[in-house]
Amino acid sequence: MVSQLSFAGFAWKNLWRRRLRTALTLGGIAMAIGAFVSLVGFSRSFEHEWMRLYSSAGTDMAVSETSFLNTSLDESVGVKLRTIPVVDRASAMIFNLMDLTPEINAIVFGFEADSYELDALTLLSGRRFQTGKPEVLLADVLAKNMSKKVGDALEIQGTTFTVVGVYHGGSALDADAVIMPLDQLQKLSNLQGKVAAFHVRLKPAPAGESQEAYLKQAQTEIEAALPGIHATPAAERASNNQLVGLAHAVAWGTSTIAMMVGILGIVNTMAMSVFERTREIGILRALGWKSWRILLLIQTEAGVLGLVGGVFGICVGWGALRVLSVLPQTASVVSAYVSPLHLLEALGISILSGLVAGAVPAWRGAHLSPVEALRHD
Amino acid sequence: MTSPQLEVRKLCKSYDEGRIEALRGVDLTITAGEFLTISGASGSGKSTLLQLLGGLDIPTSGDVLFQNASLGSAVDLDTYRANEVGFIFQAFYLLPTLCALENVQVPMLGLTGNKRQRAERAEALLVEMGLEHRLRQYPNELSAGERQRVAIARALANNPSILLADEPTGNLDSVNSARIMEMLIGIQQKHGMTLVVITHELDIAKAAPRHIRIRDGRIEA
Repeated sequence: MVSQLSFAGFAWKNLWRRRLRTALTLGGIAMAIGAFVSLVGFSRSFEHEWMRLYSSAGTDMAVSETSFLNTSLDESVGVKLRTIPVVDRASAMIFNLMDLTPEINAIVFGFEADSYELDALTLLSGRRFQTGKPEVLLADVLAKNMSKKVGDALEIQGTTFTVVGVYHGGSALDADAVIMPLDQLQKLSNLQGKVAAFHVRLKPAPAGESQEAYLKQAQTEIEAALPGIHATPAAERASNNQLVGLAHAVAWGTSTIAMMVGILGIVNTMAMSVFERTREIGILRALGWKSWRILLLIQTEAGVLGLVGGVFGICVGWGALRVLSVLPQTASVVSAYVSPLHLLEALGISILSGLVAGAVPAWRGAHLSPVEALRHD
Repeated sequence: MTSPQLEVRKLCKSYDEGRIEALRGVDLTITAGEFLTISGASGSGKSTLLQLLGGLDIPTSGDVLFQNASLGSAVDLDTYRANEVGFIFQAFYLLPTLCALENVQVPMLGLTGNKRQRAERAEALLVEMGLEHRLRQYPNELSAGERQRVAIARALANNPSILLADEPTGNLDSVNSARIMEMLIGIQQKHGMTLVVITHELDIAKAAPRHIRIRDGRIEA
C-alpha cells in the first residue's frame, strides 16, 4: 500500500510531531470545555429539574406576587383563587434550601397535607404527614444518604421532626428533598400566613382550543380576578426564575473565563508552531502553495486542536456532572442529564475557539515572503 | 528561431533600503529546453537572480518575462511556481515530518489528481531516482545524496517546464555530486526541460552548453 498524503493528514502530522505541546494545549481546551459542559450543564439541568418538578405534578401555572424568591404572598389569596372557573386545584407552597447536617443540604418544601402535588410522589414506606404536626417526608436518595427511615427523628434548624414517610419523586429537585406541612415550614422560616406561590392545575382545555391559547386565557382570568398577582405558565417559571438565571449567569461567566484561558493556549501553540516552521512555510511557498492554502493548513491544525480538545472536554464535563449528580451536597439540584444540543454547542464553541485563536498566526504564516522564510534559521 | 522561455530585462534588486545592490541591470534570455549554468563569487547576486527567475521574489526594477508575460503582473507567482518551476536547493529543504514518498506528494496537494494518483506519481518519480527501497524513510534517515534525489523527485512532481537548482551539489561529496549532475542533465534531456544551475564548481559550470558568470550584480561579458 503506497503512503497517500492528504491535506488533513499533513495537518495532523504537524500536530503529532509536537506531541507534548499538542497534549498540553488539548489539556487546556479540554479543561475549558469541561468547565463549560459541567457548569452550563449544571445550570440547565437545574432548569430542567424545575420543569420536571412542575410537570410531574401536573402543574400548569404558578401564581405569585412578584418574583420567584418572594414569599410575601398572603395564604388567604388561595380562597379566592380556588373559585376562579378555570382553576381545578391550587396548592400553596413554600420552599427553602436548608442545612440538614454540616455536609448535607437539601431543598425543603412546605405543602398543604391535601396538596395535589403530593399525589405525584410514590410513597415507598410510611404515610403522608399531617397538618400542624412536626412531621416530614424524606426523598429516598436523601433518606439513604442520611441513613434515616420511617420513625427516625430529624433535626432541622433546631426543631425536631419525625420522618413519617419515604418517597420517590419525579425530578432531582424532589427526589432529594424534604417535604413538610406548609404551616411547619412557615413557622420554621418565620413566614406565618405567607407562601411563595400557589401551584395551579387548570381544568382541561375546551375541545378545539390549543393549550397555549388556553394558558393565555387562564393567565388573563387569574390576573383579572387577583389584582397585583402574577400568573406564570409553569414552563416560563421554570426557565425564567431568579435561581435559574443566577445559575446560568455564574455558569456562563465562569465558562467564558475558562474558554479565554483555553484560547490563549491555542494562540500560543499556533504562534510558536508558525515561528518554528517559518522555513517550512517558505518551502511550501517555494513549491507553489498559495497563501490561502498555508492559511488553511494552519487553521486546520487549530481547528483539529479545537475539535479534539472539545471531545475530551465533553467527556471531562459530563463526567463531572455525573459525579455532582451523586454527591450528597449537590445531588438535590443536579441530574447527569446533558442535552445533545448542549454537547453540540460545546463542540461548536471549541472548534470556533480554535479557529479564532489560530487566525492571527495563520495570517502571519500565510503572508511570509518565500525568500525571507527560506532564510529563517 | 526558438522563442525565449525566460527573459530578464534591466533587472535590479536591492536590499536594506537600497544600500545593498544584489543585481544591477541584468539582461538575459533563456530559451525553452536550454541547459545553463551560472557561477560567481559569494554575494555576486547569482542566487538572487535564480530567485527572481523562479518567482520567489520580486525585482526592485526591471522585468522577468515568462513566455513574454511579466511575472508578478501578467503571471501569478504562486501559480507559476506551482506549475512551471521545480526548485532544487543546496540544503534540500525536505519536510522533516514526512517520509520521502510524502515529501514528493506535497507540491501536488490540491493541484494534481486524487490521493492515490499523487502517491503513485511520487512513487514512480522516486523509483526513477533509484530510491525504490527508501520510500518510507524520513529525511533524517537518508544520506545527503538520497535527500537531494528526493528533492529532485519533488521538483519534478508537477511536471514543470523549468528546473532551477541553487548549488545542488554544495552539500555532497564528489561521487554524489557527479551522480546528481548526471541525473539532472539526464532529466533535462529526457523531458526537454529548461535547466538553470547555480554553481561555484568549475567542472559543473563547464558541463553546460552555456555558462555565464555574475560579478557584482552584473553578467560578465
